[in-house]
Amino acid sequence: MIELVPHIINGLTLGLLFALIALGFTLIVGVMEVINLAHGSLFALGAYFALATIGGEWFGSTDIGVWWLSLPISMRYVLALFIGPLLAAGAGMIIELCLRPTYGKAPLYGLLLTFGAALVIEEIVRLVWGTGEQSLTVPQVINGAFLMGGLIFSKYKFFAAGFALIAIGGVWFFLERTPYGAIIKAGSHDSEMVRALGYDLSKLRLLVFGFGAALAGLAGIILTPIWGLRPHVGLDVVIPAFLIIVIGGVGSFWGAVLAAVLVGLSVGVTGAYLPAWSMMSMYLLLIAVVGFRSRGLLGRKSALEN
Amino acid sequence: MISLSDIPARGGSPFTPAIGLFALLLLTAPFWMESVGLYQYLGIEIAIWILFALGFNLLFGYIGLHSFGHGAYLGIGAYAFGLFQQEVAVSLWGGIAIAIAAAALAGAIVGAFVSHRRGIYFALMTIAFGQVFWFAAIKLHSVTGGEDGLLGIPRPDLALGPWHLDISDNGTLYWFIAVILLLAVIALWRLVNAPFGRVLQAIRQNETRARFVGYNVWLIKWLTFTLSAAFAGLAGGLFAMAQESAYPDVMSLHQSGLIVMMVLVGGGLVSFWGPVLGVLLYFIARDVIGGITETWLLWFGLMFMIMVMVRPEGLAGLFHVLRQRFAQSQPKTIASTTNPGRA
Repeated sequence: MIELVPHIINGLTLGLLFALIALGFTLIVGVMEVINLAHGSLFALGAYFALATIGGEWFGSTDIGVWWLSLPISMRYVLALFIGPLLAAGAGMIIELCLRPTYGKAPLYGLLLTFGAALVIEEIVRLVWGTGEQSLTVPQVINGAFLMGGLIFSKYKFFAAGFALIAIGGVWFFLERTPYGAIIKAGSHDSEMVRALGYDLSKLRLLVFGFGAALAGLAGIILTPIWGLRPHVGLDVVIPAFLIIVIGGVGSFWGAVLAAVLVGLSVGVTGAYLPAWSMMSMYLLLIAVVGFRSRGLLGRKSALEN
Repeated sequence: MISLSDIPARGGSPFTPAIGLFALLLLTAPFWMESVGLYQYLGIEIAIWILFALGFNLLFGYIGLHSFGHGAYLGIGAYAFGLFQQEVAVSLWGGIAIAIAAAALAGAIVGAFVSHRRGIYFALMTIAFGQVFWFAAIKLHSVTGGEDGLLGIPRPDLALGPWHLDISDNGTLYWFIAVILLLAVIALWRLVNAPFGRVLQAIRQNETRARFVGYNVWLIKWLTFTLSAAFAGLAGGLFAMAQESAYPDVMSLHQSGLIVMMVLVGGGLVSFWGPVLGVLLYFIARDVIGGITETWLLWFGLMFMIMVMVRPEGLAGLFHVLRQRFAQSQPKTIASTTNPGRA
């Protein structure tokens, strides 16, 4: 049993990372009832924007570029943590504008439109940054490894898991404890009433989509140092994200977090025995959970079922 | 928005002008394809994907179940065909029968899990199952050959009673696939214009009402899923023969999404012939735009997005609307007795 401990710790950190990926996805599904298949592409886009920010690609080799690169890496990294998600949010808002004609029609069209958007973003990334594998440099402070109980752990993984915890707490606080969160939740519950109360629903949707996209971009910056960065990383990421949403129950915040931790644990523990099949365990978990509880662990009724 | 049910069904004989035009194009293609700058193999590829797309539309357009993991059944058909040729016997009919049977079996198992669902949950479940098959194909290295897949699958002779025809070159293989496709098109056309096809559309429009009328909705959904998987398996067997290999790439979410795109862009939601238009558009876009720029998928993706935004009924829907406008501008030509038939 004791030899399982590192795998469980690994699984838990992985679960928190999965939760970070799923946060923006669950926000958009819950509020707008759109399955955003471009979520993974926004994730990649955030990471690529951060790459460009850290590497100073925006300025080229001008004076500003030289000055920029002379700044300490940790400063550039922290700035990238803001600029990447912000630009991803911009891309998300463009997608939301394109989504508008599909509101009120079958949810299928939102899914299809975002699938098209995912293709387009992936091709743009290929065009701008090339098809090869890239790596995001992180500051020395959070790089490297440390020993705990005779076992080697990566410092960065713990940083990422801690970051994920903070992000989960932050989003929870925003949704549950601020007036903006109340409006967003009301908008998903009864959009007509929210409109009648004088809130601009289209603006609200634009902002929610932008916020979800920013979370995707943030997850991209935090996760790509672990998983690597390539143009099609989006597809590898969107699949776990929606598996988690379905297992947790569409639109449920804590359901998504719980499901992410479960998926992380199952991948981590299967990895101990059958490493080649570890990713398969999440699909089997999905089929098992949804086979018994059709709305997922903590799901509620949703318009997406029709 | 218009849907399949707004265009009246004809019933009766499948030998309509549309099918005649389709057969004419299909059977004359080898004689003019090269002179318009296309090549023989493209014809084979298009015919196989049309078969796949039409079978898929039974599920997608007619019964309204949006499967996003249908590439898996094409892949299973391809692997079954290849394994049969390599491990059991080099036989065309045996391979094709096994391809259909394997895909139908996989479809029946998955169908049993997903048939009581609808909407987005159905789509998500089919994605999950599609990924399971795709993942298994990559990881079961000893059976499927992993990421490389099965290589060197032979193209067996066509055995018709005492005759043995060699169909190993692209020219003769095209004829074989074209005949199979034509038979499949007639069978599918007959199926969806039979009472069974009307029930499928009733289920799409309102599942609860269809149940109240007395139909066993679960059984019909399951049957359609299995049937659609069987057509995918047939297409997969032919695909393995055309490619002389079977590989996991066709089972990926990306490919499963592409077939949805093709069916939708063509107008599978409003017309029997929609998927055909969609497949043609996709492959022509791939070869024509792909000849100009490497990033043709960017332009195809943009075109697709615009299509979903402004005309989600696809090309066939566009034709239908144009024809209606035309008919409205000449009110004398539409008598109440004329049946415009399915576009």
